[in-house]
Amino acid sequence: MFEWIDVSIPTGAALYSQLLIGLINGAFYALLSLGLAIIFGLLGVINFAHGAQYMVGAFCAWALLHYAGIGYWPALLLVPLIVGGLSIIIERTLIRHTYKLDHAYSLLLTFGLLLIIEGVFRQAFGTFGQPYAMPSSLTGATNMGFMYLPNYRGWVLVASLTICLVTWYAIERTQLGSQMRAATENAKLTQALGVNVPVLMMLTYAGGVGLAALAGVMAAPIYQVSPMMGAEIIIVVFAVVVIGGMGSIMGSIVSGFALGLIEGLTKAIYPPASSLIIFVAMAIILLIRPAGLFGRSQGVPAAVSVVRGGADTSINPWLSTALLFLAIVAPFFFYPVFLMKALCFALFACSFNLVLGYGGLLSFGHTAFFGGSAYVAAHAMKVWGFPPELGILAGVATGATLGVIIGSIAIRRQGIYLAMVTMALAQMLYFVAVQAPFTGGEDGIQSVPRGMLFGFIDLNDRLTLYYVVLAIFLIGFAAFVRIITSPYGHALKAIRENEARAVSLGFRTNSFKLICFVLAGALAGLGGSTKVIVFGIASLTDVHFAMSGEVILMVLLGGLGTVLGPIFGAFAIIAMESYLQAYGAWIKVIQGVIFIVIVLVFRQGIVGEFDRIAGWGRRLMGRSPSKGVQARDASAGAHN
Amino acid sequence: MQPEAGTAPMLCVRDLEAWYDESYVLQGIDLDVREGEVVTLLGRNGAGKSTTLKSIMGMMDRCAGTITFKGSDIRGAASHRIALAGIGYCPEERGIFSSLTVAENMILPPRFGDPALSLERIYELFPNLLARRASFGSKLSGGEQQMLAIGRLLRTGARFLLLDEPTEGLAPVIVEQIGRVILELKRAGLTILLVEQNFVFVSQMADRHYVMEDGKIVDVIANDRVQAEEGKIRKYLGV
Repeated sequence: MFEWIDVSIPTGAALYSQLLIGLINGAFYALLSLGLAIIFGLLGVINFAHGAQYMVGAFCAWALLHYAGIGYWPALLLVPLIVGGLSIIIERTLIRHTYKLDHAYSLLLTFGLLLIIEGVFRQAFGTFGQPYAMPSSLTGATNMGFMYLPNYRGWVLVASLTICLVTWYAIERTQLGSQMRAATENAKLTQALGVNVPVLMMLTYAGGVGLAALAGVMAAPIYQVSPMMGAEIIIVVFAVVVIGGMGSIMGSIVSGFALGLIEGLTKAIYPPASSLIIFVAMAIILLIRPAGLFGRSQGVPAAVSVVRGGADTSINPWLSTALLFLAIVAPFFFYPVFLMKALCFALFACSFNLVLGYGGLLSFGHTAFFGGSAYVAAHAMKVWGFPPELGILAGVATGATLGVIIGSIAIRRQGIYLAMVTMALAQMLYFVAVQAPFTGGEDGIQSVPRGMLFGFIDLNDRLTLYYVVLAIFLIGFAAFVRIITSPYGHALKAIRENEARAVSLGFRTNSFKLICFVLAGALAGLGGSTKVIVFGIASLTDVHFAMSGEVILMVLLGGLGTVLGPIFGAFAIIAMESYLQAYGAWIKVIQGVIFIVIVLVFRQGIVGEFDRIAGWGRRLMGRSPSKGVQARDASAGAHN
Repeated sequence: MQPEAGTAPMLCVRDLEAWYDESYVLQGIDLDVREGEVVTLLGRNGAGKSTTLKSIMGMMDRCAGTITFKGSDIRGAASHRIALAGIGYCPEERGIFSSLTVAENMILPPRFGDPALSLERIYELFPNLLARRASFGSKLSGGEQQMLAIGRLLRTGARFLLLDEPTEGLAPVIVEQIGRVILELKRAGLTILLVEQNFVFVSQMADRHYVMEDGKIVDVIANDRVQAEEGKIRKYLGV
């Protein structure tokens, strides 16, 4: 009998088991995107730390078992309470301060939180997974007739579906839920009617995080309990959220399960595509139905928001001359490879500054341009034997092409949605880099020859290479300055400040934004391919989303929307990384802290704050401030 | 007409100032409302009437001065505390939540005291609402929304109401109905501070009228003087 089943429907059983795995994944997508949706709905916060909090939930269950002997079932209740309780502290001390700011700031703040949480756990546990035993009552499997269903997986499915439906009921059908929906619609008025909205928001955050922690406990026996488990799932969950549409609770539940199922199906049919399919689905949905499958409003979300940087386009000629002089003599005082690395990242930072600081587009997957170009340039120089100048050109062209592709999908959404879309697309590129035949997988493309520039400049000489890199940087930087001071640059800034008004003035804002992505892609491509020449390698780090976070940090630290700020930021971050290399994952923690400090107290960045103080100084001395300072003061007023 | 000696006003506002970002909107408002009174704020668009109500409810980011309600200073308190102290607020445009049903809108504000009217009596007063209990807020007519906006305050226990232009944009029949409701509430002993532009409407029920212009109170007119001072009021309100 059993043999008969085994022999006659092997493909069927294989298919079912892949679908089951898909459904289980879907259950976690649904639980996580549900928590994200609830938090976003009421708080307007995209909780980037959500994946990390899921990971903390799993670790918390592991720790309870390991240190206190508390098993799975009590952990199901205790862990959400513990992690939810901790999240209340986070909400009260940090997140609360971003409610009156642009949504993008809460995204950046929770990204900082993610870095801190992950860094601490990596420092404590390494990247290895800890095993967590299944509860003994749920071991074994049940014969369903067409397949064997492992009992634990069956339980996860039933439990997560129940939790999702209970949450839906609580929001759509109870008094507390109606208060939440009312506060989502108009928080001020809801509070004026006597509802304690601040506490409601705090509890909502704790509830959403508690859901993530609960998912973490349920995931612990299935997946390895590892510090990386959150980062792996959160970007997929963002894609799920974009597909489902942020407005709808049911949307996140249905699309969570459905996309898990689709992923499982893909795994059964064509395994290499399974990690890409959700991102492909997201791109298709965005092209057909930008608001998402269940999105309430068609098209534009209610809160269209961008980070407003300064409007500075002026460069102090004395300062520039001094800096140029410094750059020329620097290799005699500092390690040239460090300087070259910083220059490459400075180009990358200029590119991001163009997109966010001048275009107001929060591209959270900016490393796609940098890393994608690096791979192409490395392949061209190593395999096709391109000389360096053509290799760099190939990289720049790749960046621009990626700019066209990513840009044309991403600009269909605005504000933080654009951030999620760009991040998901970048992650797609990451998976391509992991799997594609020419990228070298985990190793990347190594020992790329430096070659002879124009056939006669030997780049193997370190000092020569430095001046070539400096020249490339100056060309890129000059292009950046030309872009932001051109009529196009002014139009771009107008769109950033007030898109509706720009549209009414007759600008086709979408084509301006697309061009912005293309130019920024080319600029990042220049940095990425130059980096290949310096280090002779293109690797997965170049396309990993942590790199996107890093460039954001550089630009924010230096001063968003300032001409020179991002260059300072790039040097500062690269220097920090070089000097703190020995401290391992603590670098991430420090970066996270910097993110949080910048968002809470230091939103103008180093150069921005410096200019502001200089502006005060000038005014105190009775001189009229320059145009640039006035503009930034006005925007500083808007922030505060 | 100034408040009579001996009876402390229920709401006492002194030197109230408020700002929207940099613009100075309320420039020192003094007003008193005694228990059981219906007092109106009259004035042109942009005079600061709605801002006065918002300031009383603690909804302004920046304001200064003192606001005393039933003897305690509420200026600077969180707005839900002000609501729970006994002030019911009905905003301009009525503030009905479109994603909530009529029934959900009705029971949204928490109940904190003896209700002015029972839920049954509220539905009796506004029979339309009972018929539409399961409809979403976005599906209601303007009149129904206004009734719901007032109705939901009455079951909370609030005995002091701030009503912001309850007749704005409504058909005359509905305006009449709302007038009757306000009179009934007055008879039931509720205190009401009413923002209006329609002074013919409010003269049927109000005791006193404060006239606002450019963020200041420029005149106080007792209701029995309205007929005599009609010309002056028309000048205040006219464009």
